Amino acid sequence: MPSFPSGRTSKITIGLGVLSLLTACASNGGPPSGNGGSQGVTDTSIKVAGLLTKTSSIGYSTAEAELGAKARFERANAGGGVNGRKIEFLGAENDSMDPATGLAATRRLVEKDGVFAIVPVSAPSFSGMEYLEQRKTPWFGWITNPAQCGLSTAFGYNGCLTPKPGVKLAPWWGEQITAELGGKDKSVWLQGTDTTSSKAGTEAIRQTFSDTGFKITGVANTVPAGAPPQDWLPYVNKVKAASGGGWPDIVASIMSGVKHNNGFYAALKKAGFKGMITDATSYDPKVLADPQSVAALEGVYVGLQVAAFESRSPEVELMKQDLRRTGGQDIVFSQQMAIGYWSADVFLKVLEKTGEDVTRESFLKASDGFSYENAGFGRIAYPRNKTLSSGCGTLVQIVGGGFRVAQELKCVDPVE
Amino acid sequence: MTEFISYVLSGLVTGAVFALMASGLTLTYATTGVFNFAHGAVGFTSALVFFELTAGAGWPTWLAGLVAVAAAGPVLGGLLHKVMFRRLAAAGETAQIVATIGLNIALPALGLGLIDLFNEGFGLRLPSVTEGGAARGLGPQPVETWEVAGVVLDSDQLIAFAVALLMAALLWALMSRTPLGLRMRAAVDRRALAELRGVDVDRASAQAWMLGSTLAAVAGVLAVPTLGLDSAAFLVLLFTSATAAVFGRLVSIPVTFAAGLALGVLQNLVAGYGDFAENVTGIRTAVPVLLLFVGLIVFNRSRDRVAGSIAEDPPPPDYLAGLPRWRRILPWGVSLAALLAWTFTIGDSYWVGVVSQGLLLALVFCSFVVVTGIGGMVNLAQAAFATMAALTVGLALDRGLPLGLAIVLGVLAAAAAGVVVALPALRLGGKVLTLATLALALLADQVLFQIPAFGNDTLGWRLPALSLGFTDTDDPRTRVVLLLALIGVVGLLVRNLEHSASGRAILAVRSAPSAAQVIGISATRTKITLFVLSSAVAGLGGVLYGVFNRMITITDMPAAVGFVWLAVVVVQGVRRVAGAVLGGMFMVFVPELLHTFTDSQHLAMALFGLGGVGLAMHPDGILSQAAERRYQRRRRRERAERAKALAEEDVETVDLARTPETSEAPEAPGASVLAVEEPSPIAAEAPSAADALRLEGAVAGYGDTTVLRGVDLAVPAGRVVALLGANGAGKSTTCLAAAGLVPLTAGRVRIDGADVTGLPAHRRAGAGVFLAPEGRGVFPGLTVEENLALLLREDARAEVYDRLPVLAERRAIDAGALSGGEQQILALAPALVRPPRILIADEPSLGLAPLVVEEIFQIFDELRRSGVALLVVEEKAGEVLAMADTVAFMRLGRVVWSGARSEVDDDLLTNAYLGALEAAR
Repeated sequence: MPSFPSGRTSKITIGLGVLSLLTACASNGGPPSGNGGSQGVTDTSIKVAGLLTKTSSIGYSTAEAELGAKARFERANAGGGVNGRKIEFLGAENDSMDPATGLAATRRLVEKDGVFAIVPVSAPSFSGMEYLEQRKTPWFGWITNPAQCGLSTAFGYNGCLTPKPGVKLAPWWGEQITAELGGKDKSVWLQGTDTTSSKAGTEAIRQTFSDTGFKITGVANTVPAGAPPQDWLPYVNKVKAASGGGWPDIVASIMSGVKHNNGFYAALKKAGFKGMITDATSYDPKVLADPQSVAALEGVYVGLQVAAFESRSPEVELMKQDLRRTGGQDIVFSQQMAIGYWSADVFLKVLEKTGEDVTRESFLKASDGFSYENAGFGRIAYPRNKTLSSGCGTLVQIVGGGFRVAQELKCVDPVE
Repeated sequence: MTEFISYVLSGLVTGAVFALMASGLTLTYATTGVFNFAHGAVGFTSALVFFELTAGAGWPTWLAGLVAVAAAGPVLGGLLHKVMFRRLAAAGETAQIVATIGLNIALPALGLGLIDLFNEGFGLRLPSVTEGGAARGLGPQPVETWEVAGVVLDSDQLIAFAVALLMAALLWALMSRTPLGLRMRAAVDRRALAELRGVDVDRASAQAWMLGSTLAAVAGVLAVPTLGLDSAAFLVLLFTSATAAVFGRLVSIPVTFAAGLALGVLQNLVAGYGDFAENVTGIRTAVPVLLLFVGLIVFNRSRDRVAGSIAEDPPPPDYLAGLPRWRRILPWGVSLAALLAWTFTIGDSYWVGVVSQGLLLALVFCSFVVVTGIGGMVNLAQAAFATMAALTVGLALDRGLPLGLAIVLGVLAAAAAGVVVALPALRLGGKVLTLATLALALLADQVLFQIPAFGNDTLGWRLPALSLGFTDTDDPRTRVVLLLALIGVVGLLVRNLEHSASGRAILAVRSAPSAAQVIGISATRTKITLFVLSSAVAGLGGVLYGVFNRMITITDMPAAVGFVWLAVVVVQGVRRVAGAVLGGMFMVFVPELLHTFTDSQHLAMALFGLGGVGLAMHPDGILSQAAERRYQRRRRRERAERAKALAEEDVETVDLARTPETSEAPEAPGASVLAVEEPSPIAAEAPSAADALRLEGAVAGYGDTTVLRGVDLAVPAGRVVALLGANGAGKSTTCLAAAGLVPLTAGRVRIDGADVTGLPAHRRAGAGVFLAPEGRGVFPGLTVEENLALLLREDARAEVYDRLPVLAERRAIDAGALSGGEQQILALAPALVRPPRILIADEPSLGLAPLVVEEIFQIFDELRRSGVALLVVEEKAGEVLAMADTVAFMRLGRVVWSGARSEVDDDLLTNAYLGALEAAR
């Protein structure tokens, strides 16, 4: 059997070595190159743009947050701006739920459009936070990913929804449920999907429910995340089996897909579950357009981190007025509008505190020790809420194809 | 127990959807040979049509469902067949895989993008797809529920099950009870023979695609209430269905269907009872993927077909071979210099950043150049390699290792992963390998990267910038230079690889795996080398992605991104590093361009995907097109010239005519029975109306090999022409050329004087040509009855059974189970009861018992009497000489002598055979 000389192969090996060396011979990087601290700021204006998941292959969209931010900025501009500077809002980029696209869009906003800050950000797959941290570019939005917590430039209007493992979450959800059901001696089943992030989520919620005093009958991270199961029967049977053949009082779903939740709830009801179902995602008027979803969601309680549009507080009324002025009289309010609105609101408040001399450094400095309360979303304080949830939430119930405020917005401290 | 039964029952409902989807996949693969990775996307698109018609136009569900299934499904299938699948059938397997993967990206994106475009650009108010939007099912809304035997089922489930059963019954009836189904099955069984029997194989393929798409459409409409209009979920549905199809070995629709049902039940049982490995996140999600992988390994290992162990396609010729070296390098040298100049002078930091991102992708794409471009294997796990390496770097840094060492570890980790992926590659090939790499990539995403320590829970890892002393990679200019250098190094590696012994070994393994094995080239080592190298390059790309972005998470480069990468790089040319660079640039600049007028990201995706589809037309990518066109023109000219030269070239003639001295030579036994009355002279005379079949100066061959070098041959009606000649003289090719299976490069074929040179085989069959090809002209997978039904109506079949009782007894048996003689009789039976105009029999007596041969020759005699023109090819002259009216002798692709049987001197004929053997040596 003829064998081939391996000289070339060894050349390849050497080549590979060189390749690795080329990248490896370097030591860790030095400080990032500085960037214009007053980029996007003129005497009369401040340039701002958002980053949202406007479209995605799964249909998830946060596009309406753009309208919310725009409405808030328009009101600020109508009132003469902040310290004489009007907000020049460029609209929002679309990351289409793809990290690479989001990163490219972030770069475009910072380096090409030259914005001062990115407001609002509401994109579950956003991965530009380290880039923005390097460039000291502040961003405001809905912080749902623990990797975004604790950064100097990341500002969640809601604080940090899921803190890093080990940090305690404020048990507002459990407290609101207790208030609604009138007692703490409740048993709870927690349903998540079969991924590490969902596991982290269920674990955090499990902690707060325990803190509240609920009895946890089971935590299941069993449902495939990629596509909802065609058949929910086995998952529902497990809920029942865990409580010794009966049902738990409460089933809480930490699954993020609307199709996941609707399928699960419909199956629970089909199997005869009569207790409380609660989640954090179903406050969505689009869902109520579908009779099938309405049937599945009837009676479900939704925990949200803003005041509901159905709330009567003057702050919410003002927001609705602003949204109608910007988006037209017949718009249908959605949670993302509120998220965009309150993200912009918090940004404006920090900007106000910054004063006349606006640079990124002065802005970040002003954010240190910033504290603000508003009935629209609760309260926020930095740097405290860089790593902790704001601990505020509303409990809304879906009744008769509409939303009803079950428990008004309330803020709770974490159990030490 | 009730629980168990209810899991099984409701699992069957779920399985019905898988079964439908999978049946379409198997059907189209078996009929056309193209494995459609876009099958799920077809289902998605139909579901999208259904959604727009119900939620948008407000049509009643039954009508919308009917349109989505019975109109959108077949129209889409027919259209795709016309635009791409037809061309793909003839393309290499790599092109088939990539094109359908491209389609899988393009179809949903195109549908969603069009909706965006209409809404943005034309102010239409089509409902756009929103999560949880009203993607309803066929049934009432909200669903109604019933309790059946202790199991609660809802209306959507019942409808899904009923429709699936109905479709299965229809499909069964169509395939086994209709002429259409018979033709499709014949085309699956023996494609060339089907053409000879008048089946328009192209049309059968079109029908298969329409039918397959319809099945996907039904599955899509049934699945959409649970899946939602989520193209990613439809892709998951495709994997599950592919698993069922793999269990049916991609051939058997009934087995596929059953496997689909079983998968539904299994998923339920795993969800209900599978408490195994509760702590391993993702393992239950990965059950279908694991099964797919097992199925691929167990059912699809290449057994006899070693040739399929790598995507079988020889690399294209070097179109630029004629150009001097500097001319080949020039365009790239100039571009490189211009890029560097721009980067360091006027290039603004944003655009330099975009270029650096493009170059980063280019580096990742270089890994495709290695494994797909050079190795011919389509690997969908590149994104997993990249993530793997970057996560390893993060983990190593976290453990306190220096960055340089961490990077080396990361690249090594990716290389090790490459070895793991290479293992299935050792026994699998083509689409099966692609599916296996995809399964592994999904396993990595769903299980491996979910390990908390690996991905730092879900936080990901923060990574430092790379410092080169005076500058670091936070500066885009540094990134550009670093990447250019790295791509240069990879380019050199690729060049060395191609020109080295390993490169030749790779080429050998790729073009002819069995031959390579015979001469001792180890396919194993070659394949592993390629995978290791490619995954190391992908890993390096992933590490730099993380370093440039200063962080890496497990979701940054999901497996699905590998689809898009592949589609993009292949369009630009996957065989060269330059193509990878172009691909990287394409991928970053197209969105920049689109961004100026639309927010919709769907259009960019559609464009990327369509690029992959365009590959069906240009398998070597954009880069080589101009050069390719020049090259093709030159080649066509050369080939025509050569054919002409060959036709003019002299072949030594022989004279087989009896001279007076040898006239007493004894006639062959039996010749008196088949006495020749009027031997008709042939050779290059004016076409005579009595010549049923005439070949005039026919030049034909296979690829670059010319076999027929100007064949002149005439077969008059009611005569038997024996075509003799040694092995390799071109007899079978003459038959195939006459029947239309081998196209002529020069010359003519006439039937009854009419020029049929341009007619395809199935049309010539219609014109009365019946070829009984070498071997047996039967469809082994069809029953005797079905074999006959392909050509004969019922009354004619009855006639056959009357005449040939041996077939009547076996009518329900698969033709493949008949004895050789019975097969040959079956092959000729249709000609017996419905005599064709021309019967061509290629070696009809080969391997048959003397008694059977006699029976067959009696059939020929009978046909001659009824006026059929017979061309009988035999290598051994024996029996055929006994009945021939005319003898034609072939040598080196020419008819060198022909004359009446009575004139033939048997000794001279023997000598001619021997002489031909000499000549062949």
